[in-house]
Amino acid sequence: MNNNDDQAAGRANILVVDDTRANLRLLSGILSEQDYLVRPVPDGQLALSAVKAEAPDLILLDIMMPGLSGYEVCKQLKEDKLTRDIPVIFISAKNEIMDKVKAFSLGGVDYITKPFQTEEVVARVRTHLTLRQLQTSLEEKNRTLSETLEELKTAQNQLVLREKMAALGQLIAGIAHEINTPLGAIRASISNILNALSSSICQLPELFQQLSPERQTDFFLLIKAALEKVELPSSKKARKLRRILRKDLEKQGVEEPDTIASTLVNMGIWENIPDFISLLREENNTFILQTAYNLFVQQNNSRNIVIAVDRASKIVLALKHYTRHDDSGRMMGASVSDGIDVVLTLYHNRLKRGIDIIREYEETPEILCYPDELNQVWTNLIHNSVYAMNGSGELRITVSEKDGQVLVRISDSGTGIPENIRHRIFEPFFTTKPPGEGSGLGLDIVRKIIERHHGKIDVESSPGRTTFSVFLPILTEPSENDDVMRNA
Amino acid sequence: MLKKAILCVDDEEIILTSLRDQLRNHFGTRYMYEFAESADEALDIIGELYDEDVEILIIVSDWLMPNMKGDEFLIRVHEQFPGIVKVLLTGHADEAAIERAEKHANLHRCLYKPWSEDDLIETLTSGLERNL
Repeated sequence: MNNNDDQAAGRANILVVDDTRANLRLLSGILSEQDYLVRPVPDGQLALSAVKAEAPDLILLDIMMPGLSGYEVCKQLKEDKLTRDIPVIFISAKNEIMDKVKAFSLGGVDYITKPFQTEEVVARVRTHLTLRQLQTSLEEKNRTLSETLEELKTAQNQLVLREKMAALGQLIAGIAHEINTPLGAIRASISNILNALSSSICQLPELFQQLSPERQTDFFLLIKAALEKVELPSSKKARKLRRILRKDLEKQGVEEPDTIASTLVNMGIWENIPDFISLLREENNTFILQTAYNLFVQQNNSRNIVIAVDRASKIVLALKHYTRHDDSGRMMGASVSDGIDVVLTLYHNRLKRGIDIIREYEETPEILCYPDELNQVWTNLIHNSVYAMNGSGELRITVSEKDGQVLVRISDSGTGIPENIRHRIFEPFFTTKPPGEGSGLGLDIVRKIIERHHGKIDVESSPGRTTFSVFLPILTEPSENDDVMRNA
Repeated sequence: MLKKAILCVDDEEIILTSLRDQLRNHFGTRYMYEFAESADEALDIIGELYDEDVEILIIVSDWLMPNMKGDEFLIRVHEQFPGIVKVLLTGHADEAAIERAEKHANLHRCLYKPWSEDDLIETLTSGLERNL
């Protein structure tokens, strides 16, 4: 039988070391009879070479030997990482002065005194082989367990990441709208400006040929009034103003009162009409007004572009802040209320739909935190609130300082969380949303993130008022484990 | 003479004013132009114009708006005024919403922001022809 077959058959491999040939033979005989694979060697040096060549499962080691003593052999075996786990049973003659304490302190697991009884040798050898086997299998199981734990952690991290992407995904649809709206306004405004400019170039010379000097002055006053108007009426107010103005103009004998009234209101002019009445009574009044309007269009559409660009850059900036984190994975100083505002900006289109936002922010110091993770917390809590209110209601967000902590309270006027499930909402995979709408990980992750910030989260709920309170300690120095925890 | 109107619905003022000037530039005084900042306001206007004997030819509506979204709004209008041509003009709409509007509001077309002036005018012109 070759070596591999022996191992495959599960035969234990035992090294016996003794300088007395008779002993060596005797021990080998006893052990071979037990079907162990025995390798007898007569001295310490040879013992070390034999172990190096092939590690045995157990060593029976005589103490008193010429050259290397058993103690010395054991010491060297224990110093080597590869051999230190092999159990060593010392053998010593009864007449030798044996230092049991030394034998154990050097790493021996047991000792046998000569002359020995066969049964005793067999029993001790069997016990230690069993122990060794159990130990090996325990180590193996431990290794498997820690590998499994690692895999679980990786899987959990992926879930956390997926949830983060889902939170961002909820925002994306809105963000597309938020960016495309100003882009649409910019594109349309530019075409309006270009059209108005080329019309103006043709209209202005013609107009000045037709207008008397007094009416030219009136014309410029009208343009000035329109350009100076800062606030233009809402669509509803404009309609009302148009109707009133139309009647008024008709009464004053102005031709084409419909067109004139609507053009004037568009330009923001519905007051001081008597100043312009002579101009409006001119025969070519629609041409005059159209010319004025084309100048106004160039200004008003430019103003549109400015508003649109501001809006788009605000979104882009908010997106940048949303994902703000330190590349080294360390905590960084950030304002809690700024983070909430970033989320509110990105959520703008969803919130303006029938939801009143009441912000009550006290001045609070910056805290050391992972800003992107806290943003995930705010996104999740606000998203849940909006969901609970079914799109309309009151969202109240307060930020204050309390006992060395920043306290954020997010309240909604939604349906509330039924008492019987309130204790479960932070459990992973618990969700009240229909399949496909929520992973059930949102609040679990929220709680984990808050714990990572050494904070805590509470919930109070009754129909019409649900409040999540988040307490975050005002840390200025990172605690030692923070970096490890972030990566854990 | 029966007056004819084009109604634009969007919760963004910058969209409404830039649409207004595009419409005025292309169609001049041929039509009345009405603007609403929400679907609810638009429904009020539709009622008022009906009372004033003004015929609405086309509605151009945003999709993502407060309270009532564009598809729901157009479907409601369609139930009462199947003759009005309906166009969606949106920065974002989900496919299902467009399908609903096509199926239940006889949607003429869905334009996406940022739209091109040519597309808008072509859409409106073809819509107006359809209405003849």
